[in-house]
Amino acid sequence: MTLLAQYLVTGFVTGCFLILATIGFSLTRRVEGFLNIAHAELLGVSAFLTWGLKSLAGLPFLLSAFTAVVATAVLGLMIGRVVYDPIRQQGPSVLLITSVGVAYAIGGAMNAIIGTGIRTLDIPLATTYKFFGVRITDYQMVVVALAALTSISIAVFLNRTRTGLAIRAMSSNSDLAASRGIDIRQTSRATWLLSSGLAGLAGVMLAMIATLSTEIAFLQILPIIAVAILAGLGSLYSVIAAGLIVGIAMDLSVYWIPAGYRPLIAFGVVIVVLLIRPDGLSGRKAS
Amino acid sequence: MNWVQTFMTVAMFGSIYSVLTLSLNFQYARGGMINFGTVAYFAAGAYTYAILTQAPPSGLDQYLFGFNAPWWIGFLAAGVASMAFAAVTAWPTLRLRGEYLALTTFAFAEMLGSLLLNERRIGNGSVGLPNVFRPDFAWTGVPDKYVLTAAAVLLMVATALSFRYILASPYGRAIDAIRDDEAAAEAIGKDIARLRLQVFLISAIPIGFAGALYAMVTTLVGPGLFKASVTFFVWIALVIGGERTVIGAIVGTMVLLGFQEVVRAIPFESVRVAQIADSVEHMMTGILFIIVLRWRPFEALTRRRQKA
Repeated sequence: MTLLAQYLVTGFVTGCFLILATIGFSLTRRVEGFLNIAHAELLGVSAFLTWGLKSLAGLPFLLSAFTAVVATAVLGLMIGRVVYDPIRQQGPSVLLITSVGVAYAIGGAMNAIIGTGIRTLDIPLATTYKFFGVRITDYQMVVVALAALTSISIAVFLNRTRTGLAIRAMSSNSDLAASRGIDIRQTSRATWLLSSGLAGLAGVMLAMIATLSTEIAFLQILPIIAVAILAGLGSLYSVIAAGLIVGIAMDLSVYWIPAGYRPLIAFGVVIVVLLIRPDGLSGRKAS
Repeated sequence: MNWVQTFMTVAMFGSIYSVLTLSLNFQYARGGMINFGTVAYFAAGAYTYAILTQAPPSGLDQYLFGFNAPWWIGFLAAGVASMAFAAVTAWPTLRLRGEYLALTTFAFAEMLGSLLLNERRIGNGSVGLPNVFRPDFAWTGVPDKYVLTAAAVLLMVATALSFRYILASPYGRAIDAIRDDEAAAEAIGKDIARLRLQVFLISAIPIGFAGALYAMVTTLVGPGLFKASVTFFVWIALVIGGERTVIGAIVGTMVLLGFQEVVRAIPFESVRVAQIADSVEHMMTGILFIIVLRWRPFEALTRRRQKA
């Protein structure tokens, strides 16, 4: 029973990480209108920037993490402007396929610079706390806290600020938004910064809780896609529910079946959902 | 650098992969379906061939089945298995459009990969199946390699001709009609769901055959050979060659594979340098891909641009 509770807690943490990783992906989908396969590569970029600044350059952890998030946000914006903007007219399929090329380019560049092998961030070892026999480390708690904080901030940002409202307007109907005087280009750039910054934040989390190798970025795209489909490609709030469902389902499944099947569980959930509710949890049509 | 060797490799694997590109061309450029799980049908074919033709398990083998069947049964079954897997994937996914289809086919491919990796009773798990049966070509008097290359080219040509035959027929025009305007096609009485399913299933068959041939060439099947990178390779080849043309799909595949083989054939001083070269090749492929999609140097693409 304790073991089951342990998997539940671990799954909850995984879910929180997935929320962080997926919000940006989902935001890009809503505003830019396509699935950015290269989103996960940005997680890798940020994770390795944090590692490089902390472990190689010897900067303090918080400064490294902050720099990595900002750099990733700017990189995401640059890719958006240079690569995606000029081909936006060609429709979401071409953008989706192009993002595979971007993922290849980023992945190849990371491999060339960093090389193979496993890296770990030299931060103090995690302290384990025990509640009723269930273990949780302080870094895991940081992930949960950050996911909660980020979700709340995003919600406030999208509902209260001018740019946030513009993003929401553009995501539901960009032509209408433009005719009401919203600066489409500016809003699109804000979205790229925001979603890439969130990928950067998720990358820092990844650097904290996982051992890093250059394949790690690509491995993240699978659960991200699973969460995004489950949430319904259009919605942001259901990402939170979907992230927790996929995270908990993946880790809880280890109780009954071998751990190698974790990714399979994520997609099993997705396929069941697609059969019952083809538009995801939110039930909103993705146009 | 051994040019003949490189040429042979490109001709052999290029023909095999061209079959995949051709099928993808059929599905995407003509059928309007984005399939991001191409590798799964390839793997289904290769594993089916290997399992049907191998000896029953002995010693350290962990797989359950081996049927010692003749190669042609394995080969035909590979096509059937690929089609069967396509039917399984099509059932929940085909009513979804565009990107949903891309994601679910991708998901199914990952699930099959995960199953093959973890379930030792199918194909020894991560170890894979070594010593896959290769038909005896001694009677031809030519080395195996040449016979297999000829077989690969033959399969490619047969695939190209069959697709061309299908697409030139009234049936092909119905497929085009659905892609160009679904509502109009439905209005004149075309059963859209059924036609899309048929396109999906038909295009899976040659991929299965290619998988069987691949297993004969490598004499090894394992989960490591059938990763998402195969799918992406085929997509990149398709885009480079320009969609909608049979020749384009083949040329794109050959060029991309040739590029990779040439890079691989360069002798490197150290492992690290070789690794950097490999990464840079990866990166260049990605950039090439972006550039081709951005500037579209191929006229063959014009028709699809209208649609988007």
